[in-house]
Amino acid sequence: MKKTFLAAGLLSLLSTTAMAQTVGVSMALFDDNFLTVLRNGLIEKADAMEGVEIQVEDAQNDVAKQLDQINNFVASGVDAIIVNPVDTSATQAMTAAAEAAGVPLVYVNRQPINVDTLPDNQAFVASNEVESGTLETFEICKNLRAAGKGAGARAYIMMGELSNQAAVQRTKDIEDVLATDMCSFIEVVDQQTALWSRDEAQNLMTNWLSSGEPFDALIANNDEMAIGALQAMKAAGIDMDSVEVGGVDATADALAAMAAGELDVTVFQNAAGQGAGALDAALKLAAGEDVDQKVYIPFELVTPANLADYTTKN
Amino acid sequence: MSKNQHGIGGLTFDSKKKARAPEWNVFFALLLIVVIFEGLGQALMGQSLLFDTGDRFGTIFNEARLKIIILQVAIIGIIALGSTQVIILGGIDLSPGSVVGVTAMVAMSFAQVGEINGMANPKLMFEGIYNLPVILPVLVGLCVGILAGAVNGALIAYTKIPPFIATLGMMVTARGAAKWWSKGQPISFPTDGYAALGKGMMPVVIFILLAILFHLILKYTVYGKHTYAIGSNEQASRMSGIKVERHKMLVYTIAGALAALAAVVLSSKNLTAQAGMGVMYELDAIAMVVIGGVSLTGGRGSILGTVLGALIFGVIISGFTFLKLDAYYQEMVKGVIIVGAVVLDQFRQQRAASRM
Repeated sequence: MKKTFLAAGLLSLLSTTAMAQTVGVSMALFDDNFLTVLRNGLIEKADAMEGVEIQVEDAQNDVAKQLDQINNFVASGVDAIIVNPVDTSATQAMTAAAEAAGVPLVYVNRQPINVDTLPDNQAFVASNEVESGTLETFEICKNLRAAGKGAGARAYIMMGELSNQAAVQRTKDIEDVLATDMCSFIEVVDQQTALWSRDEAQNLMTNWLSSGEPFDALIANNDEMAIGALQAMKAAGIDMDSVEVGGVDATADALAAMAAGELDVTVFQNAAGQGAGALDAALKLAAGEDVDQKVYIPFELVTPANLADYTTKN
Repeated sequence: MSKNQHGIGGLTFDSKKKARAPEWNVFFALLLIVVIFEGLGQALMGQSLLFDTGDRFGTIFNEARLKIIILQVAIIGIIALGSTQVIILGGIDLSPGSVVGVTAMVAMSFAQVGEINGMANPKLMFEGIYNLPVILPVLVGLCVGILAGAVNGALIAYTKIPPFIATLGMMVTARGAAKWWSKGQPISFPTDGYAALGKGMMPVVIFILLAILFHLILKYTVYGKHTYAIGSNEQASRMSGIKVERHKMLVYTIAGALAALAAVVLSSKNLTAQAGMGVMYELDAIAMVVIGGVSLTGGRGSILGTVLGALIFGVIISGFTFLKLDAYYQEMVKGVIIVGAVVLDQFRQQRAASRM
């Protein structure tokens, strides 16, 4: 009897320490669709857990503001910090600030430049960007071959913001796939940035169409740009069956375009999963448990064949 | 000096000294830029920017390119029509980009369809609010823009804070409101009626109609005359009985309404509204206005100049893509062209002034 009381006492003690868990979150920016899904995934996970309080701040794409937020978190004594870095090359100062205060820190979604030298109580949770562009481009390459264009095909590439690591990596993935023997039959007509934006992509695609160059595929760094390009192609009366169009993110709009038979390929990045994974890692680190320093949430290829599995996910 | 002097102070009319309308300078700059791109196109690509080379379309001009040149600047052009009036008034408006963001979000949430591909709309903003007639989201959007513009105008006219500060405040606040409206989530899938507003060349039609309307208003109405008068000399305008405060309010409110219209067209064209829409549009709009020969000190300029300024922007964007210029260089060159066009205009004006 005494022992059970003691155990119950200990348990309640544990749960009260759990009660006190506060996690500070600094997001690179709030008005980004993908990061919003990630942020909401994180918040939902925290709401579902008892005794976890999170405080989410918007760094508004400002490196200096983000570092200030982290220092403010440290000053107010949070148990752990989650950072979605504005600039992946400016993370050293954040790591140092958290390390000096002994507060665990988890980077989420964007890979910090010091990822290989993180101290023990810091970690990185994301998806491996090498997968996204590779899955997308390889599927388009397969589709083009299946359509009997294996002797020669022409593709346009739409890049995201050039200062962004994901845009650079996904573009490199595309180039790497196109350099393989299996896919080297695809020739790049032109590659330009459309700043991740649907409107910019519509304009860029219409500009491309105005040059009258024949093409067989459009490979975009994200779905918003792929949709913008689709809208421009439809406006120009192009038969959507004759063109392969691919994006990344599997947004609701993209899945609707795929259901309508316009978008051919997209890649699902589990945003909510990353948010939840980051919170998981942060709480474990705060509790002094061991965590893998690199946690990868896999990308998943989405095509008309498995579309139904994803319609409610993002 | 001519022999037969007449007129006040011996000034005579001399047709040789008549200053060319400043819009001509902007037009020549436009031609110059087109010629440069044509030359580079012939030299580097063996193709023409504006004409159909190689008979690919079977027309004299490359119609697709002519269309996109103006289509891609039409929406910011609508904003620039408002900025033109504000700048002629001697003010500045930094808020339209953010007003576009919040207006697009609010308007789109009243423009959604109930079903997509036979399934319930997964992005419905308000339960039970869907398939409304198109006039409703447009009116709601206009109200948002008018409210934002009226607040700008009231702050500037009655609290006397500088327009830069007042509209900077609105820029930050409206962007915040755009994010708050749906907690950062995009709002998509409008009704066919709403989608028709920005379909195809509709943005251009709306832009041109509004440009003609405001060109006439600025040129031939009391409203226009008062706008120029206040921009030239606010004190003198007040002395001569113009209700300066009321007029300022009106101009900023009209600028807000135009930003709202731009937002409706933009969200319709893209079939989506996102909190980040319209970022930096105000600066592009101001650049179009200034390239078009409107003076930042007020009292000078015209809607026609702004339309030409917008066309210069369009030619530059399409020209870069046409030349397949590396994406990294495009923004650098664009900045140089903006400043260059204004320097050229200043230079011409000084020369014209020294000839007097």
